[in-house]
Amino acid sequence: MSLVAYTPPNVLPEPLRWFAPLLKRKWFRQLVLLSPTIARRRFSNKTEDYGVFRPSDVERIGQVSIYVQDIARSKAWYEKLAGLTESRSCGPEPHPLKPGWTLRCCYMSARSHEECLVLIEERDPQGKASVPTGMSFFHTAFELSGNRLEDVFAFAEQAHADKFKRNYGPVRHNGVPPHGDGETGGNGACYFYDPDFHNIEFCVAMDTIDNYRARYGDKKGSDRA
Amino acid sequence: MNAPAPRVVAEKLQHHVIYVSDLDRSRAFYEKLFNLQFSARNHPDSSAAMRLANMEMRFFSFGRYHHDICLVKHGKLKVDNGSMLHFSLTANKAGFDGIRARAAETSVAIHDGRLLASAKPRSGAFWLQDPDNHCIEVLEEIVS
Repeated sequence: MSLVAYTPPNVLPEPLRWFAPLLKRKWFRQLVLLSPTIARRRFSNKTEDYGVFRPSDVERIGQVSIYVQDIARSKAWYEKLAGLTESRSCGPEPHPLKPGWTLRCCYMSARSHEECLVLIEERDPQGKASVPTGMSFFHTAFELSGNRLEDVFAFAEQAHADKFKRNYGPVRHNGVPPHGDGETGGNGACYFYDPDFHNIEFCVAMDTIDNYRARYGDKKGSDRA
Repeated sequence: MNAPAPRVVAEKLQHHVIYVSDLDRSRAFYEKLFNLQFSARNHPDSSAAMRLANMEMRFFSFGRYHHDICLVKHGKLKVDNGSMLHFSLTANKAGFDGIRARAAETSVAIHDGRLLASAKPRSGAFWLQDPDNHCIEVLEEIVS
């Protein structure tokens, strides 16, 4: 199989990745946001500004299926970096949306989430394999075993020892030094591009309704801020 | 001698962030159909990362975590369906029936069963497409 060398347009250029760690410095974030600050366009975007949470009709994300150029290459990447395991492989089967096209699927499982990820090779009626475009999803995120802040740092070190290159992190998505990058969610996170440049986040300790109740009681929305 | 620390591995899918072409249109779609709660907004005027990346995001919660589904619009790049076939949302019986009923009230086409022929059969399953043609499979939680 010949693989096509393709970098999707949403992939962060290497020089930008060098600067990304500066987002953990408040002065740098203030500098980037200087223009909207001066123009008085800057606003708060924190979760405590909004009136969450109540149960929704959805319990969880059950599965994500992504296109890959080479199932074997991607399977090895997810097995080695994330500890996913192959549940089964199938195909070819008809593409549900494109008449005449076919799919081969590899179902991967995380430690406590069966068949959470499907790696798909897509082929046109002439048998030509598709190249993933990168512009369907920004990233998909796996929670790490342990689910503590220290686990994402241990994971980042483990990945580095295994020669995997992060594109961002580890950071914490809040404003708390020394790891906070000013973003929202409170989760510790690090990000990697898989062999097709799908951006994959590994995260821990996201803020929950319990965190907010502990901080704000039953106050809703802007009363919390 | 101390045993080596156990490897840290992926435990489960946690959240998913999809590109959309119109944040307001997609927000209305996801809130109405799935009863999701808006939990945060990241905008180039409020987030340094969004300003550098030329993106804007909306965060939505299923009710426990800060975010479970996020929508993101890129300032220049166009969304497509060329890197993801689908994602699935799992609901309990009441949630599944509620989503199905609300979907039936819209003009969205509903397809019974699983999207992938090779997916494990489920009695409660259908799929539909969002305003950007992302495929969303809705699954009823299996109670063991």
